[in-house]
Amino acid sequence: MIRRFVALIFFAALAVASFCSPLAARAQETLRVCADPDYMPYSDRAREGFENKVAQAVAGYLGEKLSYTWFSMRNTPGGFHTSGGFDEFIHETLRSGKCDLVVDVPYSNQDLLTTQPYYVSSYVFVFDKAKGYDIESLDSPALRDLKIGFETETPPEEGLIMRGIRVGNVPFDVGGTQGQSPAVMLDALRNGRIQVAITWEPAVGYFLRNSTYSRLAIVPLPNSRQRGAPEQYIFPMSMGVRPGDTALQKRLNAVITTHQAQLVSILNGFGVKLYQPNFNPY
Amino acid sequence: MKVKRLWLWAVAICGCAFVLPSFARTDDLSSLSQDSNQWVLPSLNYANTRYSKLDQINTDNAKDLKVAWTMSTGALRGHEGQPLVVGDTLYFQSAYPNHVFAVDLDDYHTKWQYTPRQDEFAVAVACCDLVNRGVGYASGKIIEDALDGTIIALDAATGRVLWKAKNADPKLGQTVTSAPLIVHNKVIVGISGGEFGVRGSLTAYDLNTGKRVWRAYSMGPDSDVLIGPNFKGPRNAGINTWQGDEWKLGGGTTWGWYSYDPNLNLLYYGTGNPGTWNPSQRPGDNKWSMTIFARNPDTGQAVWGYQMTPHDAWDYDGVNEMILANLTMSPGDPTPALVHFDRNGFAYELDRRTGKLLLAKPYDPSVNWATGIGSDGRPVVNPKYMTKAGVNVKNICPAAMGNKDEQPASYDEQTGMFIVPTNHNCMDYQAFTVKYKAGFPYVGATLLMYAGPGGYRGAVIAWDPIKGQIVWSDHERFPAWSGVLSTAGGVAFYGTMDGWFKAVDAKTGALLYKFHVPSGVIGNPMTFMHGGKQYVAVLTGVGGWAAIGLAAGLNEPTAGLGAVNAAQDLKNYTNLGGTLMVFSL
Repeated sequence: MIRRFVALIFFAALAVASFCSPLAARAQETLRVCADPDYMPYSDRAREGFENKVAQAVAGYLGEKLSYTWFSMRNTPGGFHTSGGFDEFIHETLRSGKCDLVVDVPYSNQDLLTTQPYYVSSYVFVFDKAKGYDIESLDSPALRDLKIGFETETPPEEGLIMRGIRVGNVPFDVGGTQGQSPAVMLDALRNGRIQVAITWEPAVGYFLRNSTYSRLAIVPLPNSRQRGAPEQYIFPMSMGVRPGDTALQKRLNAVITTHQAQLVSILNGFGVKLYQPNFNPY
Repeated sequence: MKVKRLWLWAVAICGCAFVLPSFARTDDLSSLSQDSNQWVLPSLNYANTRYSKLDQINTDNAKDLKVAWTMSTGALRGHEGQPLVVGDTLYFQSAYPNHVFAVDLDDYHTKWQYTPRQDEFAVAVACCDLVNRGVGYASGKIIEDALDGTIIALDAATGRVLWKAKNADPKLGQTVTSAPLIVHNKVIVGISGGEFGVRGSLTAYDLNTGKRVWRAYSMGPDSDVLIGPNFKGPRNAGINTWQGDEWKLGGGTTWGWYSYDPNLNLLYYGTGNPGTWNPSQRPGDNKWSMTIFARNPDTGQAVWGYQMTPHDAWDYDGVNEMILANLTMSPGDPTPALVHFDRNGFAYELDRRTGKLLLAKPYDPSVNWATGIGSDGRPVVNPKYMTKAGVNVKNICPAAMGNKDEQPASYDEQTGMFIVPTNHNCMDYQAFTVKYKAGFPYVGATLLMYAGPGGYRGAVIAWDPIKGQIVWSDHERFPAWSGVLSTAGGVAFYGTMDGWFKAVDAKTGALLYKFHVPSGVIGNPMTFMHGGKQYVAVLTGVGGWAAIGLAAGLNEPTAGLGAVNAAQDLKNYTNLGGTLMVFSL
């Protein structure tokens, strides 16, 4: 008698469990993020970067857990690389299916499927406030007399070449050198190796909060047609998923629509400055 | 005693007021502009014909033209636009810093001058040199559009500031370079520049108070675009030909010329390209960029709109002038028409009552991005010349500066031909694609412009609007970036970027006279009578988009991707300057 009763309860519990289990499985979904283990202020294994904080917030809004696949977006110093860099990162992480989300990519980049933008920032001039240089754009005459530090393979490099401003400039390859901090450009300013740095503001905003760098002025580069060819220095930034993963893209768009202000305040905490006050995504 | 003297002074002053040279104080600009002795509207008349009935200078005596007088404008950089002549006074506006001068035509002294205080950030964001296309005049007021977007009304007699209005914010990348048009006591003003979040618009301010009366945006919901129930066209296309909210990315700027038909009470103008340079960010037709609009000037309400280049991928702004002419396309069938030589290389001729297309044909033989305009009004794009991300498409004609930019053509009413200053450049273009170098966004794009087939970079042509054909063509070394003036004397005038002021026979294009001026010409010649003599005046001072390297002080040859080399050798022919040149017999 009791055995039959126990069996009944057992089967009932099993039935209930199997009925509940799909829901339980959904509640345990994980947002799988592809990120760099050593690239502050963007991301690191200790999850201290702004991509990590944004990912954490997004996972929370989605009601999911968070996991990481770590791979460097940058090349090994001194190594010979054919593709390497961001392309290799995407191939090894997102494309391989090991993870599903890259937190910070330019809007409308065609290597991934991008969400609507969640912030807009700009390349900026950085220099010692006390020097009072009159710099507003790449056409400012003051630039021709200064030693300029710039990141290679970025729009400011093209802009300098177009204008014939080349002598004495110092190239940096922070985006292509594993282990190198974007702060190296700020250090070069402090020790006088360069007098102006032109860099992507979110790369250095984090370090600029440090009092070591408090004497530095930041001036955004405006988009320009001055030379006939369009020059873009202001970029809306998005999250990116695997091409074809429209389901995740839609869910992320919904998070951005609802929580953009919170995401932006995370970025502000990292010194990321937004440069398009009127930009209004969806 | 004191009071008596005061009265005497008052009477004396009042008496003087009646004796001063008349300013033709009439509100009817339409009839005032029919007086060939003066030039009271930027494009001579509301129809924008730039055809003068003056004939003292003619094909026989044009060879005897000489410089009558000159004047420095006090500014370097590109001088587009033209002076006005109202009564005995000539008014003009220089390139930035936008000095306005009132010059006495008897002895050339400056009656007054005015320089606005401006937000200097406008200089950093002005895309295509610091040009200005001229002042406006109405009812004893001179209206100035300053680069930073300030609209200023000045007393034409004294230069005193009457009111100011703000039409642009340079901090958002906006500037104003166009000449204002005054219609029915409304000052019509456009806007330039701006990427990401700046929508183009056309705005009307009250001539007497400077208060905004209406503003029509170039995209957005119908309520923003001022499209109402009387509009002949699709509803809310300013939203639903874009993806999501991307219409807010802006564009459709309005920095060209404006014309007006007093009988139909319609104002005509064109809008520029969509805001973001990256076409993949904005799938769809992107209305109402690249559109010819007809609006009621009192309310701004649109009556019709015709989009010339849907989903632009070549940067062919639609802002060029709309010339109003009556064309007899077939015998016995005169049609009130609008003729527009677009950047995209096609001459569009429309019925200006309805926007119905009468004819659309290329006005430069090298146009290849589209094989024609279909019966639905849409271009038949040649897939070979469609721009693509990541692919450097070579030899697209015309280049982004188009077969004609803002430099205005003239409708020679005597011959029935349009005399059109054109560009003849082609380009290699790799469409914008946004890439990422770990932590650093960048753009893959190429834009390289060079002379088109035949090796010349410009030509002044005569265009037969009935047949849709070129009648004659005078080649130029550089893009023909000045406007054209035609006259009843059978003489047409224009200037060249390499510094020549020219007079040609309007029937044949044969050169009658030329003079080497202090700096290349991108201004528009105008003509007037004074003291029984006919004068032709033009602002010289090279610059503008076609001469960017020169104007912005580049000393080394450009190299690398994205460089524009279409005018690298310009410095061998001319230099920066700013001089008003006035010619007569």
